[in-house]
Amino acid sequence: MCESTKVLPFKTIPIDQAVGCTLAHDMTQVIPGEFKGPAFKKGHKVTSGDLCRLMRMGKNNLYVLDLKDDQVHEDDAVMELASALSGPGVTFSGAPREGKLELRAEYPGLFKVNFEALTEFNMIQDVMCASIHNNTHVEKNNSLAATRAIPLVIQKNDLETAVKFARQHYPIFSVKLFNPAKVRLIITGNEVYKGLIKDKFQAIVEKKTTALGATLEEVVILPDNHEMISKQIKTYLEKDTDIIITTGGMSVDPDDVTKAGIEDSGFEEIFYSAAVLPGAMFLLGYHKNTAIMGLPACGLYHKTTIFDLILPRLMAGEKPVQRDLAKLCHGGLCLNCDPCRFPVCPFGKSG
Amino acid sequence: MEDFEILLKGSAAAHGHLCPGQVVGVRMAMEGCRLIGLDNPRELPQIKKLIVYVEMDRCATDAISFVTGVRLGRRSLRFVDNGIMAASFVNLETGKAFRICSTEASRDLAQKYAPEFTDRSQQQLEAYKKMDLDDLFTIEEVIIDVPACDMPGPTRFKSVCAKCGQVVRDKREVMKNNEILCRPCALGTYYQPLRKKGN
Repeated sequence: MCESTKVLPFKTIPIDQAVGCTLAHDMTQVIPGEFKGPAFKKGHKVTSGDLCRLMRMGKNNLYVLDLKDDQVHEDDAVMELASALSGPGVTFSGAPREGKLELRAEYPGLFKVNFEALTEFNMIQDVMCASIHNNTHVEKNNSLAATRAIPLVIQKNDLETAVKFARQHYPIFSVKLFNPAKVRLIITGNEVYKGLIKDKFQAIVEKKTTALGATLEEVVILPDNHEMISKQIKTYLEKDTDIIITTGGMSVDPDDVTKAGIEDSGFEEIFYSAAVLPGAMFLLGYHKNTAIMGLPACGLYHKTTIFDLILPRLMAGEKPVQRDLAKLCHGGLCLNCDPCRFPVCPFGKSG
Repeated sequence: MEDFEILLKGSAAAHGHLCPGQVVGVRMAMEGCRLIGLDNPRELPQIKKLIVYVEMDRCATDAISFVTGVRLGRRSLRFVDNGIMAASFVNLETGKAFRICSTEASRDLAQKYAPEFTDRSQQQLEAYKKMDLDDLFTIEEVIIDVPACDMPGPTRFKSVCAKCGQVVRDKREVMKNNEILCRPCALGTYYQPLRKKGN
């Protein structure tokens, strides 16, 4: 990614001879606290009226481009780079600014990055690309990444190497659509079942699932009774259910029987515990095409938990397993910031 | 650019009839082009510098297309289904863009501008011809970042649907359940096949 030491194909001309010349690159103007952007775009023909502004920007000399056959201008190069990097759901402007293109989400979904390939891409001479984290839930038009050729002019060979590499690893970036999942919820707890306290989990689950396009089809409140929980899960499995969610009863107290109830319900795969705080006593399981999430009670208190990390992945059609839950360790500690800025924070960004 | 009456006559002929929407569309297009510095958008080289976003698919849209030369098939006419009598004009070379929206007040002002007509449609038609631009439109300068996959020119992006094999152009494919799919396969169709395949 380092800048080439090759001689750049520019002629430098004094500003007082620039009228009528075509600018070789965007010229950035910075007005502290007010503006940073291209004051003049590449291709702009300098007029006598521009000279004063250019001089106020500190320009006493200008570059005039003189491209050789084996060289590509940064704006043309970055279009090629962005095209090769952007998979489904990733779009970018048709007009590079200052040699750079920002990649954006075409639709809401789960942002995916081939991190290993992106790293190798950045090892290629004279190109770079930086992105947000893998597995981030993104909305339409969210910024995902930005790429550019480092020098104003890149060698065609280097550009072709980068483009070829990105195409071989296509898609390095993509956005997975969320499926309109049908969710069924079981709220467990003697205290809620008996009406001693009012349930607050349903509203939380409903808000988080519907925000991603799921529908909460059914809600049942049950006591801490292993058999009743298991029977209800089996009932849900017989229906058209994509995700079953249970709340509470995932800890180690004698009354915490939800985990046992899930284990007795015929799931082929069950993974208990995750390297995430809050959310260590999380359960994830699968039976055919139905997933189950056992949410620990921390979800009542903490605004963001492991539920927020795994739900988008299930909704995007992924099937995280034990290793995925373990990989969340690096960045799996929520800092409980006030206010919470998730997903714009380190929480859960390593998986 | 030709004068208003010639453009209106041509627009009405192309659209099939003369109506208030034609007048609004022609004036909108003329002002839009003027604001972004194009005086001959229907011919080279300016034909490649213009994109117009229309926010309605009614009479005025045809008038805008006629005056500016923008076409759906040329990718210079973009339809944003807002149901609003508005259009934005973008000069791709300079980046300058203006959105022009027909005012609701102009409907009522038609009486003031053309009191000699009693027929509502005729009154609007004549009034819109001479109405001050400030009464007829609200105009604002805007920024429109045209995505690379919406740009005119040769097809840059092609993908193949993993389910049906259809080639999808211009990055309209989506990623669903780890598969690259066309939108009909991923999101459903706007039509129902009359006969099931194989029958």
